[in-house]
Amino acid sequence: MTTPPSSQNPAGTGTRGGAAPLLGRKAAKVDRLAELMGERGDDGHGAGVWREAFLRMRRSPMAISGAVIVTVFVLVALFSPLIAPYSPTAQTWGAEVFPNRNVFVGPRAENLLGLDNLGRDQFSRMVIGARQTLLVGVVATLVGFCVGALLGGSAGAAASLGGAWGRRFDNVVMRVIDMMLALPTLLLAVTVAALIGPSLTTVMIAVGVAQIPIFARLLRGAMISQGSRDYVLAAQALGVRKRRIALAHILPNSMGPVIVQSTLTLATAIIDAAALSYLGLGNPDPAFPEWGTMLADAQRFLSSAPSLAVYPALAIIVTALGFTLLGEAMREALDPKVRK
Amino acid sequence: MLRKSSRKPLALLAAATSLALVATACAESTREGGDGADSSEPFVFAAAGSISTLDPFLTSDGETYRYSRQVFETLLRHESGGSEIVGGLAEDWEQSEDGTEWTFHLRENVQFHDGDALNAEAVCANFDRWHNLTGGYQSSNNSYYWQSVFGGFAENEDEDIPDSRYVSCEAQDELTPVITITEYSSIFPGGFSLAAFGLMSPSTLEAIADQEITGEEGNYTLPEYSQVAGTVAGTGPFTVEEWDQDQDEVTLQRFEDYWGEPAGFETMLLRAIPDETARRQALEAGDIHGYDLVAPADVEPLEAAGFQVPTRDVFNVLYMAYQQEANEALADLEVRQALAHAVDRQRIVDTILPAGGEVATQFHPDTLDGWSPDVQTYDYDPDLAEEMLADAGQEDLTLEFCYPSDVTRPYMPAPRDIFDVISADLEAVGVTVEPVTYEWADYIPRTNSGECPLYLLGWTGDYNDAYNFIGTWFSGYNSEFGFRDEDLFEAMAEASGNPDDAERVAAYQELNNQIMDILPGLPISSSPPSIAFAENVNPPAVSPLTQENFSEASWK
Repeated sequence: MTTPPSSQNPAGTGTRGGAAPLLGRKAAKVDRLAELMGERGDDGHGAGVWREAFLRMRRSPMAISGAVIVTVFVLVALFSPLIAPYSPTAQTWGAEVFPNRNVFVGPRAENLLGLDNLGRDQFSRMVIGARQTLLVGVVATLVGFCVGALLGGSAGAAASLGGAWGRRFDNVVMRVIDMMLALPTLLLAVTVAALIGPSLTTVMIAVGVAQIPIFARLLRGAMISQGSRDYVLAAQALGVRKRRIALAHILPNSMGPVIVQSTLTLATAIIDAAALSYLGLGNPDPAFPEWGTMLADAQRFLSSAPSLAVYPALAIIVTALGFTLLGEAMREALDPKVRK
Repeated sequence: MLRKSSRKPLALLAAATSLALVATACAESTREGGDGADSSEPFVFAAAGSISTLDPFLTSDGETYRYSRQVFETLLRHESGGSEIVGGLAEDWEQSEDGTEWTFHLRENVQFHDGDALNAEAVCANFDRWHNLTGGYQSSNNSYYWQSVFGGFAENEDEDIPDSRYVSCEAQDELTPVITITEYSSIFPGGFSLAAFGLMSPSTLEAIADQEITGEEGNYTLPEYSQVAGTVAGTGPFTVEEWDQDQDEVTLQRFEDYWGEPAGFETMLLRAIPDETARRQALEAGDIHGYDLVAPADVEPLEAAGFQVPTRDVFNVLYMAYQQEANEALADLEVRQALAHAVDRQRIVDTILPAGGEVATQFHPDTLDGWSPDVQTYDYDPDLAEEMLADAGQEDLTLEFCYPSDVTRPYMPAPRDIFDVISADLEAVGVTVEPVTYEWADYIPRTNSGECPLYLLGWTGDYNDAYNFIGTWFSGYNSEFGFRDEDLFEAMAEASGNPDDAERVAAYQELNNQIMDILPGLPISSSPPSIAFAENVNPPAVSPLTQENFSEASWK
């Protein structure tokens, strides 16, 4: 097993070290992931790595709990209209709750989790809210993934194959990405959301944009580390066209870390989306259930009906935890250092 | 290179941060030390919104008036805790028979904060200044109450501005200004009590004479004197020391030479905390000593915890407006009636509004003369609503419905919940509701200019006359509602111009009937807003007009 030459270290050049320590840490973490995953090309049989990782994950309690949570969440989200016993927006029991006098209705036979402050079935709202959360999470991650991969991929390909001009291009793109990375994710998302105005699409775009730098940096790092491999050299010597090398050889071999990151990003996206909704930048229709909005709403009744806030809060935490566990387990399973 | 140069500022920043941390820690510890409630401790009161100008003339915003009432005084005012008009800076006043000449007898020995004496000339200087304003001052955003009370200016720069109702102000003698208007209106004498007409000292007027409002409609830059404390001087029990716009905090200092009973607090801080939960928590934590607009659900717990939570009398109306130009379906009376029948207003009153609230049958609280018992009522009847919509051919009606996202108002706790209930009711009869939300600062101009077909808004009375309610909305074409009904407008002008009290009240009742037949909007409720104070405060008398005079308050 050879380590990549230090001159090709994807940790990047000059600027990163001098920037704020926070950015350094965040970037270093991303780069470390890229570096680790980049090495797996060495053993020469790619499919085996994934198989092996899967077997390893099957033995990891972390992965199993993560997978269970994620599966349950995805199933609930997909089949929510079938699971929810009532309409999440119907104020069927509106005359039974009196938020102005602190009279709330807790769990009972027909309402498993009780009623919210306008007499709507809390259980139905939670279930339908899951669908919203999954949608936002997936779309946001896709936005981040696609744009990030495009930027990072082109920068990575240019840097490893494009010569002096390629490195210059890579430098420009990566400095822009670094600037985005320097902003705290949530701050970046809030800025974007404030620019476009509150809506569900806004949340998806905002959270997605905030994920772009991570994906871009990750893919670019992995591609640069692949760029110095013997098989790339061989392909170049054979006269394969550069575009083909980049798309057909380097890119597929660099996707591993990006896919792992997607799982982790889903967790962050769910939390960020909830945060944006909580801040009032989400769907302007207050009737439509969304965990972040529900949490923000329930805050007013925290002293008299804490459960209204506890349910969405728990749901957000558990779901994010599930995706994080799964992502971490996947990362560990694919980490060659642990594997040996 | 880069490495080196970028580290230094970082180190500096870190040093500065830690210094700042140390400094705040010190400041906090001293505050904890001096917790005794002697009169020198500042009284901190939290409002829901920040003030917008130091000169109350330039605004129509209640949060600004809370500050300005402590600093500036008007010729007339309302009795403490009531809605009866009594003398303010004028001890006494009389009107000519036809109601066009108003003679005020000023108090003696009243001093402005900068040492000027109050006399008839000072009063007239203020009125003449207002009457002669030009440029940006003539925008209805910057002189709302002048235009609603006195019409226009000496030289109107926009033809939409009505002719001025103000003729002159003359000093009959040292302490007797006489204000002449073109014709009687029931706006008077209430108009003279409006906080917007707080008197400023002659020296202040001289200093600010050349300050202009710059900018365009919708984006004005207010003059400097109204944004930085130091220029304006009134006669009130407090002087304004500082307005920290970043912290949303106004510092008021007791005025020692005040003509009346001096203020109970040496220093008073007015702070803005928009979130109602945050306001409650600040009071519970002892950071503030009182706050306005208590959430209905918080009233009982606060009282149980020993806080004082007086409730004001009902003097407001919350309504859902139909802007008939923003959606042509709303121009059809049957649609408007159908929507009225679709909304379960009783449920809003029962579950969201504070105890003591009730469904409003008209655009007029029942605590005010002119309220009519015989108006057309629109009871909750979703089936009838659906039928009427079908009759009108509007089974697939889609309506935008606006609500403010970030505030609560005295007449409207929890706007979002109210919106939710109404919109669910409307959807139940087959209307598709498109929710639209703006922040309060944006909400008022947008709803005023008629952008929203349906929207929630309300009104707290300024003075004790029906015209202040129905006249505000329906005395002429109004882009908030977007309809023309010359009969109604004429009847309104006639009623308000009638100097006979009994006849006028009867006319107002008739008008209320007429308005509810036209149904320009759906009155939802009238409800009593609460205000909270810490245990160790003698609170001021609470006013149904939300015009509390904080100089009455003191430490126990």
